[in-house]
Amino acid sequence: MRRNVILGLAPLLLPYCALFCAGLTLTLAQSMGLFLPLGPGEATLEYYQALTRDQGLGLSLRLSLFVAFFSAAGSVLGGTVLALALWRMPPGLRRVGVVSKIGLILPHVAVAFLVLLMLSQTGLVSSALFQLGLISTPEEFPNILHTGSGLGMILAFLLKGVPFALLLIGAVLFGFDIRLIQTARMLGAGPLRTFWSVTLPRLLPAMHSAFIILFLYAFGSFDIPFVLGESHPGMLSIRVFDIFFHRDLSQRPQAMAILTVMFVFAAVFAMLYNRFAAYMDAWRRKL
Amino acid sequence: MRHAPTMLVLAFLFLLPVLVLILQAGAPGWRYPELWPELGLDGVRFLATRPGPFLTALTGSLGYSLATVVLTLSMTILPAKALAYSSFRGKTLLEGLLLLPALVPAMTFSMGLHFIFIKIGLADTAPGVILVLSMISYPYMLRALTTGYTLMGREYEICARNLGASKWRVFLEVELPQLLPAMAAGGSVVFLVAFSEYFLVFLIGGGSVASFTGYLFPLITSSNRGLGALVTLVFLAVPIALFIVLELGLYRYHRKRRMR
Repeated sequence: MRRNVILGLAPLLLPYCALFCAGLTLTLAQSMGLFLPLGPGEATLEYYQALTRDQGLGLSLRLSLFVAFFSAAGSVLGGTVLALALWRMPPGLRRVGVVSKIGLILPHVAVAFLVLLMLSQTGLVSSALFQLGLISTPEEFPNILHTGSGLGMILAFLLKGVPFALLLIGAVLFGFDIRLIQTARMLGAGPLRTFWSVTLPRLLPAMHSAFIILFLYAFGSFDIPFVLGESHPGMLSIRVFDIFFHRDLSQRPQAMAILTVMFVFAAVFAMLYNRFAAYMDAWRRKL
Repeated sequence: MRHAPTMLVLAFLFLLPVLVLILQAGAPGWRYPELWPELGLDGVRFLATRPGPFLTALTGSLGYSLATVVLTLSMTILPAKALAYSSFRGKTLLEGLLLLPALVPAMTFSMGLHFIFIKIGLADTAPGVILVLSMISYPYMLRALTTGYTLMGREYEICARNLGASKWRVFLEVELPQLLPAMAAGGSVVFLVAFSEYFLVFLIGGGSVASFTGYLFPLITSSNRGLGALVTLVFLAVPIALFIVLELGLYRYHRKRRMR
């Protein structure tokens, strides 16, 4: 039996180790000054110490966390509200939800392009305000995209994230046993109470999954920040890219050190979040 | 119409962007502060007169994305069965670890992998791109197939084996037809992930693997917004067309089987 399981898992475990684990190992090794393109060096932690002295890095980390949190939380909230709204429609009409697939299909690069088209200072919204006479020059339109606020990136992530959350949450909701709700209502629960004690607890697992996936994706993603081009302070991924491609080889370990920290953060975050969600779930049930 | 607000929100979020893209594609000279563009077909004409790079990029992306779907399918079909039907110590941990490549930032392992690929000659090649794309996308296939196996249960397999069918026959005639929806679902996600990835193709492919995202990127960051919008629309149309073909194919297949 045991041997069967290992044999069955082998087609996946082999490439997993050869590509994923090996890639990670090399990132870690290079962050410690080993196996560099210039030749094998000696193991050192000086690049990690350099990270703690880097002022700009803290700003990048803050921006990455900020963008990741608000885009993921906004997507889950928007996706849940849309899923609930679609759920109340008659099943035939519910099919209009299919247009949200457009957001899933458009690549991140294209979504960022859309944000540029709409919200840059010479974009469509600015044009509309000009035609309405509310502004007289492009400079009067608030500079949303290049101030380092991350707002443009959050909007782009939302356009991708809302349909994703809608898909995960809708899958649970549209297969929901309506009799549970009818029973709650018959027993005298109001609409709010029914939502809070019957519907929401069943949606929570899907909402947690959506949040964790979207948060970590935005945290480490490259495409959208690269198109929207904020570099002071850039997202962590942009910082790594700059060090990796635009500075000399001797700085490469620094990029790898940032990546290692990002990996540890993502893995620990996923683990702790799951624990936390399970704990909250158990706690709710006790009540 | 008490559902009108929902429809409006949906239209605003997802149809308006497409409309903007269509208008922008038809009007390369659309500039601030005009609100309504002068439509023309310059973009289409440009692509029609010089279709070479565009078509190379499109076929390149289609090629490596479909190859990624096939590779992830062959990587996960047996493991999904093992995960669905057997329990062993550390299974939850293993499942968690196997999900990691889709969760952690792709940069973290791909930058290290890039170095290895340079050493073994896989950098700047299509196989290298397919391998790294499979790594970030197989968890979706694994999830879909594991669910598919779990929903199917073992009874059919055991029954067919009892009646003397070989392992291959059981797989082809009993399991495969029932797993098709799960494969289609997982395959769609894997295709989308691979087709729309920009960074990894750029890093591992190094410019010598033609990709649609790589073709689109300079267009949208330059001032050629009209062409950028046009290419984005093709980007939207190709997966939609593929999904429609897939749906129709599945529908026909099931109808045929039922008639047999």
